[in-house]
Amino acid sequence: MISGGAIIGQYYPVGSFVHSLDPRAKILISVIFMIVLFVGNNFYAFAVTGVFAVLAITLSKIPWKVLIRGLRPIVFIMSFTIILHLFLTPGQAIFEIGPLRATWAGLVQGMFIGVRLIILIMFTSLLTLTTSPIELTDGLEDILKPFSRMGVPAHEIAMMMTIALRFIPTLLEEADRIMKAQMARGADFESGNMVQRSKSLVPLLVPLFVSAFRRADDLAMAMEARCYRGGEGRTRMRELNLSTNDYFAFGLTIVMSALVVYTRVRFGPVIPRGAV
Amino acid sequence: MPIEVRNLTHTYMQGTISEVTAIFDINFRIDDGEFIGLIGATGSGKSTLIQHLNGLLKPSSGTVLVDGVDIWSKGVSLKKVRQKIGLVFQYPEQQVFEETVYDDIAFGPKNLGYSQKEVEGQVEEACELVGLDRELLSRSPFELSGGQVRRVAIAGILAIKPKVLILDEPTAGLDPRGRREILDNIKNLHETGISVILVSHNMDDVARLCERIMVLDKGKLVADGPAREVFSQGRFLESIDLKPPDVTVLMEKLRDRGWAVRNDVLTVEEACAEIVKELQRRGVAGAI
Repeated sequence: MISGGAIIGQYYPVGSFVHSLDPRAKILISVIFMIVLFVGNNFYAFAVTGVFAVLAITLSKIPWKVLIRGLRPIVFIMSFTIILHLFLTPGQAIFEIGPLRATWAGLVQGMFIGVRLIILIMFTSLLTLTTSPIELTDGLEDILKPFSRMGVPAHEIAMMMTIALRFIPTLLEEADRIMKAQMARGADFESGNMVQRSKSLVPLLVPLFVSAFRRADDLAMAMEARCYRGGEGRTRMRELNLSTNDYFAFGLTIVMSALVVYTRVRFGPVIPRGAV
Repeated sequence: MPIEVRNLTHTYMQGTISEVTAIFDINFRIDDGEFIGLIGATGSGKSTLIQHLNGLLKPSSGTVLVDGVDIWSKGVSLKKVRQKIGLVFQYPEQQVFEETVYDDIAFGPKNLGYSQKEVEGQVEEACELVGLDRELLSRSPFELSGGQVRRVAIAGILAIKPKVLILDEPTAGLDPRGRREILDNIKNLHETGISVILVSHNMDDVARLCERIMVLDKGKLVADGPAREVFSQGRFLESIDLKPPDVTVLMEKLRDRGWAVRNDVLTVEEACAEIVKELQRRGVAGAI
């Protein structure tokens, strides 16, 4: 099935500490976490961010199985990155294949990037796994609101995101159905070289776009029929409120950030400058 | 081209939180030339079941045998299976994509490696079968009316010359005329020797056309037999959220009022004959 694999945008409905947090808090913590993850430049930093991520995952009650399955789509890009680093970093050679030279420094660097990617994907997928799309966009709209005076269309962006998220499963289902319909006519999506494969996507993409445009038209009509006129003066059924739990989560995030900055100052980069 | 299904079970999203078993332990055999109606309420597993018959879904357990061969055993070409067993999806007009009607109908036979000449012949034949005007062949499928595009889509399957034709709700969303035309086409197709499996919500259509009825309820095959037998069990059909054909309901009501009419009639003509007979027996026939 086409929808197997990717977990971005899939809400995992269980009740947990992380699920109960305010979406704004979760978005901000995710952003801070991402920055901190890139501030950390050695494996000690990973120990800190790793523990934080494991703690968050445990508190979220999302099974590890689900998160690990979510890593599958990035296996290719990850191996690619690791291999690039392995061969393109100068230093003492491990082995050579023709003009390519694998180095110890490259291996360390590659592993470093790999671990960073794993932590990044696992933690950030936690955001969409524990926050329903509605909460997520409500939170985003609230965060962007201060910028609307500078011309950022906060409500419109949030509405676009809601609609996009709402239609991901619909479009996946539709793609699955059209694919099967074409397979029933002997279409082959799995074999052949790159050119043949991309050509074989035409019978899938044309009907998919046609129906997506039709849906967009219908949706616009339905929204107008219900007098939708943008965000001004619009109230919410559920108001967002920060609770003690949110402050607690922020506190932990600040502690984690401080520790990572400390490891950076104290230990320096994983491959010391000038070592190669 | 007999199709045999043994202990077929399918579970979607196996091993996840949203795991659903759509069909459960299904067994049946379909012989050449049969005209079968597959009925069941929404979500009873009809679409899941038919997608197993041409290898679009892989059974979670159980087997599907076409011509006595398990289609999922090694060395079986699913492409060949799909050529023998044509499946027309619900709202098939949503699958058209080519620039002209001709190209769209020719998509199937081209995929299956027929020569230019053979493709041409098969497209023409398919158009004939569904009563599609030749003039339309050079038009864009996106300019045609709903009923016409649906016929183009059905022709697209017929052009691969299947021995068994499965149609999922072929009349959904069509006006009465489009619906009648499509059903007449299907009836004619069956007369050319193709086995037909018709999935439908419309009991009147199914009663009028099909010889054998299979009933699915919550993923289980709860009835499988001649149309007369199945449709005479009106109460049972109602209990699984299906509406028996109008004529059957009428007969049922007349029987409740003490009329000695059969309850296994399937068409309006049969019902008329039955009622006239009963009236004659009561000696009031002269009055009408």
